[in-house]
Amino acid sequence: MMAAITNLFRAVTYRGQEGQIAWMLHRIAGVGVFVFLAGHIFDIFLMAFGPDVFDALLFFYHQFFFKLLIIFGLYLGVLYHALNGIRIVIIDFWPGMAKYQARLWRIQLGIFVLAYIPSATIMLSRMFDGS
Amino acid sequence: MQATSPARPRPASNFELYSWFFMRISAIVLFVLAVFHLVYMHLVIGLDAITFEVIAERWQSAGWRLFDLFLLVFGWIHGANGMRVVLDDYIHPQGWKVFVKSILYVVTFVLIVLGAYIIFTFRM
Ligand code: HEM
Repeated sequence: MMAAITNLFRAVTYRGQEGQIAWMLHRIAGVGVFVFLAGHIFDIFLMAFGPDVFDALLFFYHQFFFKLLIIFGLYLGVLYHALNGIRIVIIDFWPGMAKYQARLWRIQLGIFVLAYIPSATIMLSRMFDGS
Repeated sequence: MQATSPARPRPASNFELYSWFFMRISAIVLFVLAVFHLVYMHLVIGLDAITFEVIAERWQSAGWRLFDLFLLVFGWIHGANGMRVVLDDYIHPQGWKVFVKSILYVVTFVLIVLGAYIIFTFRM
């Protein structure tokens, strides 16, 4: 427990640069999506039990709170992890790019904002006009 | 002398090398499949419009079944292998490490079997 607290303190106060934040968000998003995916594979398996069972489960997916969680958790997490993952692949397969990793990180954040803001806005607005 | 550490340290074993390679290949595959899946299901179709009927219809096509099978296998194995690395980083006592990883492998087996079962055997 003590060790966990010390580690957390170190993680928060460690003066890494972009790379450390990028890595921490990548890990948190990866683990979060993994947990969601476990439930999601199981719920799709429930297709085996016919429309009554499956559609009853969809009640869960149609909850207001769950939709918020999808938009601000799952969708945001996958998009970040996907873009950051591609940056990792580029740097690893093309080591010359390591020099530009800070610039790549800013480009990545730019793409993230451009892709996330409009699509999340559409998803959010759908929640309120009930379509 | 290098001013910065190399972007790629030498892998610890052959297995870790293949694992490293697999993570990157699956990353490229998932970038296409998973992002398309999210955008298609959430923006084009929309969460509220998805029902048993819609998925049943989708699985009339072998192409969609294949797409979903790829998502299942690449998505889950990539995630599970990533979790293996995360667990290695945070769980140090050998016994706990073996225990928690065994759960990870059992869950992986069960989910791949359940997922593949429904994709292959679903009938209207
Ligand atoms: C959408 C496309 C995706 C891309 C481009 C991508 C990319 C990557 C890459 C390149 C790594 C390796 C990082 C490293 O070795 O340092 C990684 C790790 C990981 N990914 Fe993904 N991934 C994607 C989707 C997913 C999904 C769907 C899940 C969940 C099931 C997931 C879970 C993880 C986890 C748990 C790790 C380990 C994180 C760590 O070691 O810090 N990823 N991802």
